[in-house]
Amino acid sequence: MDLIILGVAVVNGIVLGGLYGAIAIGLSLIFGVMRVINFAHGSFLMIGLFIPYWFWQLFKINPYVSILVAAPALFALGYGVQAILIAPLYKRERAMVLEPISALMLTAGVGLIMDNLTFMAFGPDFRGVTIEFASKAFWIGEFLNINYTRFLAFLASLGLTVLLSLFLVRTDLGRAIRSTAQNRDAAALCGINVMRIYNVTFGMGCAVLGVVGCVMIPFYPVSPSIGLAFGVRSFITVVLGGIGSIPGCILGGLVLGVVESVAAQFVTATSASIFSFVIFILVLFFRPTGLLGMKV
Amino acid sequence: MKRMHYVVILVVFGLACWGVPALAGEKVAEVKLGSVMSLSGGAANQGTQTKTGAIIAADEINAKGGIPALGGAKIRLIFGDSQSKPDVGASETERIIQREGVPLMFGAYQSAVTTVTTEVAERYKTPWLVTGSVADIITQRGFKYTFRPNNKAVYDANEQLQAIKVLTQETGKGPKSIGILAEGTDWGKSHAANLRKIAKEMNYEIVFDEAYSPGTMDFSAQILKIKSRKPEALVIAMYTPDHIVFTKQIYEGRLDVPYGIHSVGAGSEDPNFYKAVPQPAIEYMFVQEDFQIDITELVDWTKPVDRKFTEMLGYPLTSYGAQGYSAIYTIYDVLQRAGSLDKEKIREAFAATNITSGPALIMGWQKIAFDKDGQNVDAHGVISQNFKGKRTTIWPVANRPKGIKPVWPIPSWKDR
Repeated sequence: MDLIILGVAVVNGIVLGGLYGAIAIGLSLIFGVMRVINFAHGSFLMIGLFIPYWFWQLFKINPYVSILVAAPALFALGYGVQAILIAPLYKRERAMVLEPISALMLTAGVGLIMDNLTFMAFGPDFRGVTIEFASKAFWIGEFLNINYTRFLAFLASLGLTVLLSLFLVRTDLGRAIRSTAQNRDAAALCGINVMRIYNVTFGMGCAVLGVVGCVMIPFYPVSPSIGLAFGVRSFITVVLGGIGSIPGCILGGLVLGVVESVAAQFVTATSASIFSFVIFILVLFFRPTGLLGMKV
Repeated sequence: MKRMHYVVILVVFGLACWGVPALAGEKVAEVKLGSVMSLSGGAANQGTQTKTGAIIAADEINAKGGIPALGGAKIRLIFGDSQSKPDVGASETERIIQREGVPLMFGAYQSAVTTVTTEVAERYKTPWLVTGSVADIITQRGFKYTFRPNNKAVYDANEQLQAIKVLTQETGKGPKSIGILAEGTDWGKSHAANLRKIAKEMNYEIVFDEAYSPGTMDFSAQILKIKSRKPEALVIAMYTPDHIVFTKQIYEGRLDVPYGIHSVGAGSEDPNFYKAVPQPAIEYMFVQEDFQIDITELVDWTKPVDRKFTEMLGYPLTSYGAQGYSAIYTIYDVLQRAGSLDKEKIREAFAATNITSGPALIMGWQKIAFDKDGQNVDAHGVISQNFKGKRTTIWPVANRPKGIKPVWPIPSWKDR
C-alpha cells in the first residue's frame, strides 16, 4: 500500500469521523443525563437537514445562515417533545426509576411519527442543495483533496464539542445538568428543577442536530427515511467514546471514521465496516465504559 | 349420513363460487385490476411513479369507452401498498386476489417483493404482469402465471458493455480495462456478477471491483482507489442518495475516467438525482435507461402522456411512469383478446401476446411477446449520454436520434 494513499485515507477518515462524532453528541448528552436512549435521534437529524434545504429551495438562503433558524427550531422541538411527551412518564413513575423503558418506546414512536409526517408532507424524494461552493476543494498534492463543505463540517463538529464542553463545565446551567446526571435526587435536594433540566438537555441534544444538519446538507441528500441510516452508527460512536462524554463522542467518531476509511483501502467497503464492529467489541471488552467514559 | 350432507353442501357451494366470475364474465360494468406497489418506504418514489403512469393509461382507456371486448367495461385500479417490504407485498397480494376478486395483477417494482408476490399469484392461478423488477430468477422458476415485459438483470449488464463495444467500433478507440462499483445488496451484487461474466467474455480486464454499503456518507476511499487503479471505463450501480453523494465527490475530486462513467439505471434515472447534483458533474455520463428517455421528444403521441405525468408529479415522464402506462395498455390488449374475465383465458391470452405497435410500446421496445417462461425476449433498454443536462439516446444505434454524435473518449476535467 502506497504511503501517500494511506495518508490520504487517514485524513479523509478524520474529516468524516468528526462529523460522525457531532451527530452522536446529542444522543450521548441525552443518555448521559436522562438515561433515555433517544430512538428518534435520526429523525431529529432528518428535520435538521430539511430546514436548511427548504430555506435554500424557497428563499435561496445559504445553508450556513440557516443555522440561526435550524438550531433554535430543533431546540424548541426537542424541548417540546420532552416537556409534553416524555416528562409525564417520569412524573407517573413515583420513584423516578433511572431507566424508564417506556420512555425508550415513546421516543421510537415519536421518531416514526416524525418520519411519516414529513413523508406525507414532502413525499419520498431525495433532495439536495447544489451551491457552487460545495463543489470546491483544497488540493494538497495530486491525490489529496478535501472538500470545503466537508472541512467546514469537521470544524463545526470540533467547535460544537468545545463549546458544549465549556458550557457544561463553566456555566451554572451546565453545572446543574452535570449534577442532575450524577444524582437526580441529590440535585433536586439542592434546589435544581430536575424536570426543567431534562427539558433543556433534550432541547440542546436536538439543537446540535440543527447545526449538524445545516453543515451537512451541502454534501448529503435528505429524505424522510434518512434518519435510519444514522441510528446504529451513532449508538456505536457513543458507546465507543464513553456514554455521556462529549469529547469521547468526537474521539469515538474519529476512530470509526479512520478505521472505515483505512480499512476500505484494503478490503471492499462493505467488509470494512466489520472492522469498526471489531474495534467496538474490543473496546467494550477491555474498557466497558468506553474510551473516555467514567464509572457511573 | 349427516356428514355426507355437509360435504355435498360444501361442494355445491364451492362450485357456485367458482362459477360466479365465469358467469359474470362477458358483460361487466367494470374490470378491477389489482396491483401491489411500493407506495411507502424506501422505494416509494418509484412505486408512486408507476402508479401514476397506470392511472393515466386507465383514464385514457375509460375516456374512450372502456374495453370493447368486455362490453365497454371500465377499468378500476386497485392498489395495495407493499411498504417496500416483501412480506407486506405478499399479504397485500393475497388480500387483493381474495377480497377484491381481481382477474389479474401487476407490479411490484422491487425484485425482492415481486419474487414473492408472483409466488402468491401463481398459487391462486392469477396472472401477474411484472413492472420494473429485473431479478433474473423471476422468470426462471417455470411459473405459468408470471409475465415480464421488461429487461432481466443480465440484459442490463450486457447493454452497458455492448454500448462500450459499439462506440469502440465506431471510433476505433475504446477502453481495455474497466472498473465496477456497485451497492452491496441484491441488485448491485447481481449486476456486478453479470458484468464480471460478460466483461470476461468480451476480454475487458477488471482492474477495480468493489461493493459499498448503501447510505454511505463518503466515497473518498473508493475514489482514491479508483484513481490509483486507473480503470479506463467505470460501471456503477447505485440508488439515488448514494449516487448523489458519489457524483458530488467525483466532481470535486476531478476524477478522470477516459471512457466515461456508465451508470445502470436506478439512481441515475430518478429525476430527483438531477435536481440534487450540479450539472457539470454529470456532463457526458452514460446511463443505461429502462426506457427511451427522449421518446417524448421524438414520438408525437407520447407528448400528452408526458404532459399529464408532469402535471401530476411535477417532473417529466420517467421509465417507472412509462412502465405503469405500458402495463395497462398491455393488459388492455390481453383482455381484448381474452374477451372474458376468466383467469385461464386471460393467462392464455397473455401467453399469446404479440404487440408490435401502439401505446404499450412507450418504453421504446419494438415488440412485446412472451417466451415459455413469461419473459419478453425483445425487451431492451437504451444507453443515453448526458449533454448539457439533457440525456440523449446513443445506443442502440437504431434508436439514436439523427445528427447525434456520442462524445468518446471523454475530455479530461482540465480540458473542459
